[in-house]
Amino acid sequence: MKTNLKFKIIDIIYIVMMALPIAFSIVLKVLTNPPSEGISISGAKIFLEIPMPLQNFIISESQINSAMVLITIFFFCLYMTHGLSDKIELKRQHFAELIVEKVDGLIKENMGDYFSGYAPFIIAIMALSAFSSLLSLFALYPPTSDINIVGGWAILVFALITYYKLKGGLLNYLKGFTEPIFVMLPLNILGEVATPVSLAFRHYGNVLSGSVIAVLISAALGGVSSMVLSWLPGTLASFPLFQVGIPAVLSIYFDVFSGCMQAFIFAMLTMLNISGGFDMEAFEKRRLKKAQKALKNK
Amino acid sequence: MQSLDIISVNIWQILVSLINLVLLFLIVKKFLYKPVKKMLVDRQANIDKKYSDAEEARNKALEDQKSYEEKLSAAQEEADGVIQSAVDTAKAREKEIIADAKQKAEGIVTKAENDAKLAILKAEDSIRREIIDVSTVLTEKVLEREISEDDHKNFIDSFIDNIGDGDE
Repeated sequence: MKTNLKFKIIDIIYIVMMALPIAFSIVLKVLTNPPSEGISISGAKIFLEIPMPLQNFIISESQINSAMVLITIFFFCLYMTHGLSDKIELKRQHFAELIVEKVDGLIKENMGDYFSGYAPFIIAIMALSAFSSLLSLFALYPPTSDINIVGGWAILVFALITYYKLKGGLLNYLKGFTEPIFVMLPLNILGEVATPVSLAFRHYGNVLSGSVIAVLISAALGGVSSMVLSWLPGTLASFPLFQVGIPAVLSIYFDVFSGCMQAFIFAMLTMLNISGGFDMEAFEKRRLKKAQKALKNK
Repeated sequence: MQSLDIISVNIWQILVSLINLVLLFLIVKKFLYKPVKKMLVDRQANIDKKYSDAEEARNKALEDQKSYEEKLSAAQEEADGVIQSAVDTAKAREKEIIADAKQKAEGIVTKAENDAKLAILKAEDSIRREIIDVSTVLTEKVLEREISEDDHKNFIDSFIDNIGDGDE
């Protein structure tokens, strides 16, 4: 019933729009990145530098790629919810329901009912992180291996954690730093700051180390194959025999598994940190006090 | 083309990535989470409605069944009553008819008896007369003399009475 021509055309537009940003990124990479020999590990390429106060505003490869991921996910969402209905008519609806219900369940389990509004945020973190890491499957620069990108997310998460800690009252928040004894103050402050830093560096380090290891292994395999095949005449001697297939197998771990794993871990830690920092009892007490005050003023 | 260092912190990049995440949060919320959630709620409501409808229909069916059973038992009672009254009427009629028949039979018997008695009387009478006539003639002839009619009659009557007594 819903498989008429118009429906299909919109579907195709969504799919094309999902693929287009990634294709754009690939084209950009091919145009700006000449094939290089040997081991070269560097950060994201800088496309544009705009002078701004404090630091220059840099439009780098990771910025472009993460914007492209954003567009891809946007159309992915549109595609998933296209033709949604009570009665399941499309297979993709199962997947959409699966995502929503799983994340809802995860949040209920880890954060409690008070945070049920966090489901879209967690989906967004997971999707952005996983899609960004998976970009390395297309030989693109994964934005998650740029500390600035992951750092931005970690700072947002840190802001949320602090916001929920402050809900228990500013005094309570400040008092929390001197517990269990006053001497612990510097350590507590350090621990507080360590949360976003560890969040960012864990994710960034894992993805970057994956790329580094992939490059190293690829170079090593090239060396091994040129060593083994050096007795052959002509161009056959430089045939990268061991570079065929083996890096692909390794990339299943370093790109797919590690990327998805880090996305999950990042989301998980976000949930635990936000709900862990929130003192429900203090919040309730404070709210009660406020309500009583409001009643008295009346 | 220039590259960044592997670790290079840039505030603007951090800010942009933060904004990106917020943007994606809004996108996911508006275009994925809310529609799916809404659909799930709709479906739940739909299912609940169907269940309550089914429950309602079931209750109604039970009610109907009860009322039908009541009606059925009432009809049964009515039928029993009708049959009972019919039986009663029939019995009454039967008695009536039997009584009637008995009466009629008795009437017939009495009439027959009466008729028979009458016939006997008539026969007796006619026999008596004949005998009287015959005996008179015979006696006249035998005796050739006149006998007083009255004497003769008395004599014959007593004779016949004796005969009749013997018959009876």
